[in-house]
Amino acid sequence: MATPPAAAPRAPSSGAFDVAEAYTKLLAEDPDLTMPVAAIEALILGLANTPASTVSETLDLVSDLTARLKRSVANPISLSAGTDLFQQYLISIFQKPSAHGDFDQVRSHLVQNGRLFVERAKAARETIAGFGKHFIRDGNVVLTNGGSRVVGSLLRSAAESSNASGRGSIRFKVIYVVSGEDAEAQENIAALRERDIPVATIPPTAIAYCMDSVTQCFVGAEGVVENGGIVSRMGTYQMGMLAKATGKPFYVVSESHKFVRLYPLGQRDLGIEQNVVDFRTAKGKESEDAKEDEGVADMDGASAAGGKALSGVQEAVDYTPPDLISGIITESGVLLPSAVSEELIKIWF
Amino acid sequence: MAEPAKEVPKQDDEKLSPAELKKRAKAEKQARRAAQKESTGAPPGGPPTANGAPTGEAGSNQQSKQGDQKQKGQQQKQGGQDKTQHKRSGSQAQSQVLAHRRRPSQGGAALQAAVANSNVPKEPKKENKQVELFSHLYTQRRHTVEGVSKDVHPAVLALGFQMSSYELCGSSARCVGMLLAFKEAIQAYTTPLGTSLARHMTTHFLSPQIDFLKSCRPISESMGNAIRFLKKLIVEIDPSVEETEAKAFLCEQIDIFIRDRITVTDQAIASSARTQIKPNSVVLTYANSSLVSKTLLQAHADGIPFRVIVADSRPLYEGKNLAKTLMLAGLEVEYTPLSGIAHAVKDANLVLLGAHSMLSNGRLQSRVGTASVAMHAHQADVPVIVLCESVKFTGKVALDSIVLNEVAPSEELLLPQPASEASQQSAGEDKDEESSSSKVKQLGDWRDIKNLQILNLMYDITPAEYIRMVICEYGSLPPSSVPVVHRLANEGV
Amino acid sequence: MPSVVPGQAPSLSTFLKTLKSKDIETSIELFISLLQRRQIRNSRPCALATTQLLLRVVAGERTRDAQALITRIRNVGRRLVAAQPGEMAVGNIVRRVLGVIREVAEEDQDQSATSDTSTPTSPSQSASKATPHRPGISSTISSFSPLHHGGALPHDMHARPMSSGDITPLAQDSAEQRPQLGATSPSYAGQGPTQVTSLFGLFHTPQGASPAGTPPPGTQSPVGKPAPRQKDAAADSKLDIKAEVIDGIKELLDELEVVDSQIAESALDHIHSNEIILTHTSSQTVQKFLATAARKRKFTVVHAEAYPNDHLATHATIVNGNRKADDSDSNPSDADERWKPLTSMGITVILIPDSAVFALMSRINKVILAPHTVLANGSLIAAAGAATIARAARAHRVPVVVLSGIYKLSPVYPFDTDELIEFGDPGKVVPFEDGEFMDAVDVVNPIFDHVEADLVDLYITNLGAHAPSYLYRIVADHYRTEDVDLLAKEVV
Repeated sequence: MATPPAAAPRAPSSGAFDVAEAYTKLLAEDPDLTMPVAAIEALILGLANTPASTVSETLDLVSDLTARLKRSVANPISLSAGTDLFQQYLISIFQKPSAHGDFDQVRSHLVQNGRLFVERAKAARETIAGFGKHFIRDGNVVLTNGGSRVVGSLLRSAAESSNASGRGSIRFKVIYVVSGEDAEAQENIAALRERDIPVATIPPTAIAYCMDSVTQCFVGAEGVVENGGIVSRMGTYQMGMLAKATGKPFYVVSESHKFVRLYPLGQRDLGIEQNVVDFRTAKGKESEDAKEDEGVADMDGASAAGGKALSGVQEAVDYTPPDLISGIITESGVLLPSAVSEELIKIWF
Repeated sequence: MAEPAKEVPKQDDEKLSPAELKKRAKAEKQARRAAQKESTGAPPGGPPTANGAPTGEAGSNQQSKQGDQKQKGQQQKQGGQDKTQHKRSGSQAQSQVLAHRRRPSQGGAALQAAVANSNVPKEPKKENKQVELFSHLYTQRRHTVEGVSKDVHPAVLALGFQMSSYELCGSSARCVGMLLAFKEAIQAYTTPLGTSLARHMTTHFLSPQIDFLKSCRPISESMGNAIRFLKKLIVEIDPSVEETEAKAFLCEQIDIFIRDRITVTDQAIASSARTQIKPNSVVLTYANSSLVSKTLLQAHADGIPFRVIVADSRPLYEGKNLAKTLMLAGLEVEYTPLSGIAHAVKDANLVLLGAHSMLSNGRLQSRVGTASVAMHAHQADVPVIVLCESVKFTGKVALDSIVLNEVAPSEELLLPQPASEASQQSAGEDKDEESSSSKVKQLGDWRDIKNLQILNLMYDITPAEYIRMVICEYGSLPPSSVPVVHRLANEGV
Repeated sequence: MPSVVPGQAPSLSTFLKTLKSKDIETSIELFISLLQRRQIRNSRPCALATTQLLLRVVAGERTRDAQALITRIRNVGRRLVAAQPGEMAVGNIVRRVLGVIREVAEEDQDQSATSDTSTPTSPSQSASKATPHRPGISSTISSFSPLHHGGALPHDMHARPMSSGDITPLAQDSAEQRPQLGATSPSYAGQGPTQVTSLFGLFHTPQGASPAGTPPPGTQSPVGKPAPRQKDAAADSKLDIKAEVIDGIKELLDELEVVDSQIAESALDHIHSNEIILTHTSSQTVQKFLATAARKRKFTVVHAEAYPNDHLATHATIVNGNRKADDSDSNPSDADERWKPLTSMGITVILIPDSAVFALMSRINKVILAPHTVLANGSLIAAAGAATIARAARAHRVPVVVLSGIYKLSPVYPFDTDELIEFGDPGKVVPFEDGEFMDAVDVVNPIFDHVEADLVDLYITNLGAHAPSYLYRIVADHYRTEDVDLLAKEVV
């Protein structure tokens, strides 16, 4: 990856500000906040708390904050979508000659309008939710997994929309794939059931079994990667494969700020360490050197060494290649996976 | 010219030896010439109707004798209603569709001759209208008695014309018809002096009958299996047994064969397949299989509420007959051309298909278009079930629909001129005289249009992976078990 | 076919003839009724008639105000589309015309604004020290003004390779249409297009739509604010908007005329000697394509007849080429040129019924289809039977090539493909005389099939050959986001 080398921990005066803490706090305060947006918020806060007077100083600061932020979490894929976007945005502004004189103005703009971005991100989700009624028709059976907020709001909005005939709301059913305790999923399920939508919950092992009764699948994503594939919670990939095998449409619902400049070649190429496959014998773990070598590539300096390893399948993610995806529903419409690459190229060049 | 053909049967050969093939080719050529000659003289409709009348009678005679064969019996009962399954009797009140379907096929040679006649100077540069890819399949169907061996029994003769005109259609129906005709023929047989029935009958008496049937329309797998069965019986007859006794034995065995391998079997398959129809389901079928029809009627009689979608295609419109049968029985029926299959499959829960034959590599040979239906159903994850008596199982294999197939006369695909174009057609008629290339042509002129070919295939091969289940009298099988049952049922291993 | 009154049916040609003599409102009504009665049908006649009609409408307008013109065309377009939603070509043409008007209007704006301080900045100027990591390769660089609705957005001129130069002006104009609310940062709130073309949307207005996406109907599309523009237009219009728009529509007509020839140009790139090619129904585009190849190469064509809706036309095409005696309702082709049947060019044509498609597919090298409509996700609507052909081709690994003029390319995302399937006259399947059968049996005759994008290997349009996955880009190049949903109320 060609993003700024984050090896400059020298960072003028950023020491006082703990970006990671700010990030976690933002996420905790507002459950509706997505990781990329929280990351942008954290960076803006960092910017506000640190006096930087020149363009290059500012950029260095942001790179440094980003690097630290990424190091602080086990899976930085989602938040890196936000930080990369923000960095790229700054660069593109400062590249503009006319902007040089107005450096302070730019900076104050950012600092003052942090909340606005959050509002917009949420508005994006609402826009996406509004598309729900176009996808879901009377009598459909929707399969979805986990507690993606944007999928949840899409389904809720569909449940509240009136159907094609204009009489009453759309009548559809939902099959929720729930693994273990999942508060968010439970919340979504409760919300749908309240709206008179019949919801069934199944374990991930039952997906193939019920695939024949499903009309279409909706999944959320942590990140939409460059080739149009997605990184999403563990189990999405298998759902995509099953949907493909049975010929059911498989839609990804994601705000476009989750597009991330990452191009995984396969499951082991996500740049994060997940101890999902853990071989053991009666004597315990296999010898250390024979250990699964899971993604040791580094993401913008957030090397595996720096990040905490994820434990358990609960938080783990997998990568779903684009050929399994029928369409990506974003706030600007339905994109084909092939359009993602273009969108990403556009912000980088 | 008809003389040499009569000597043909005297030649000695057991199976389809090259000599026999040659013989057949010769007979066909004669038939073709004869047809042309005849039709130029006589009106085109002449020969078929002349033959048609006795045919119908012969058919009903046979049927009344075989009262216990319910399928035929049923048909007799419902005689007046134009719902025929296996047999399309032209004498009964027949649907208009059938009427004009039949015309081109029978009048095919005549039409061709007429065209050739009107364009006399063109005749020498007559182009080969056979599709190269299928050149191995082209045969001329016999529609006339000219050049037929005198040994061919009248019952067989009548049957042959019923087959060539699709009056008798469907693999098992043709098989039954053939066996019944053979029974009559056997009754008329007397062993010449100096030889025994076992040695003489097959080659000198049965072979001409079979050859004649083949010249009317290529025989089906079920007929092949029945013929093998019959030949085996004849060979095994003790020469010391008296002739009348031997003949009675053969007739009895034929009746048993029909009963065991087809009549009772059909009932068993229908009962078994019927359990696959769930209440409130939608069953999709294609063309007209007697077994599917029986299954659906039985399920309906048992009070199961369900809906049927019948897909159909040109030029035989067999599905329409099925739809009619079901409609008259009070079922809820939807009828769609094959072009609507992608749409129809979306509603269906089950696809029931009949078979022409089941091949040993698990593939299904059935009415052309069946493969498309199965393909869509497979894609939509709708189970495809083939209903097929084991008598239609064969040891042959095929990978595509090219090698094993039957090419029907192209004229069957020509459309009757729609009424709205009648005026235009009258204009088209004088065109025949000038035959100037600047005139607007009709498809009917296709033989005059260079490089234009019309292909009318009878069957296609459905890949085994599209078939989820085969129901035969031995139970329900995966397509991979077809060769097992074939050995068991047809080869007696 | 009871729908045809022999010889009397007013078809495309008669409609076009009367267009000049009748007043505009009558013409619109006539066209609507022709559409409703299916007397003008199929993509090409619909596209031609729509273009001609809109040309008349524009010519008849007195206003010099682009916004009023847009509103007018939108209103007419809405009625036309509502008359026969299945004929997507009508909507496509309406959108193209709207695009022409917007473009002209924006050009106008641009010219009147060139004196402004906010000249677009060239990317070459920005090889600055501030960007050590990434070279600012090209394109206008966006600026940052989240509070200002008119905030500039990055525009990707380079990412529109298909646009024939018509996009460039678009890139610079629309900022002017927006009210410049705050004056805090005029210097870097440069010009940008109305469309939010990139992911930076987060930092800008939230409903921005990417041209690459296909917004579903009913969503708000950002529409240029008319208020300041009207003022501007009235004041500074240096161009005769109407004349420009008419020129644009005439270009569209030219495009419709040459589209088949343009597609046929690449025939030799796709058909080699001794191929066996399968096609379906009677399509002028396909026939021309094959005929072009036939001039140089010998091959075999297997032609499925498309019973029961198109088989007569198919037979006629095979036998006579486009030389028709009667004005058959299926292809009012008087406006089209004539061509000889392929057989007369030495090409062997094998006519087969649709049922034999699967049986023959194992020997076919290539399938060539002509769609009724191509949808933004790369899937298509074509004559019934096409789904069987495409799927059988996939089962046999035979490449499927779709020939389609850009005018058939619709920006509408197919949410529910069943809605797009029209049903035809059951009388074509079973004669009406068969009364008992008709009463008791539900005769279903779908006219169209939906073919999924992954069954198509290649699209050949008048712009070249594309993978189905690239169609989104071509859609984005030809239709303005704000016009995608014609039925939506205009957002002011």
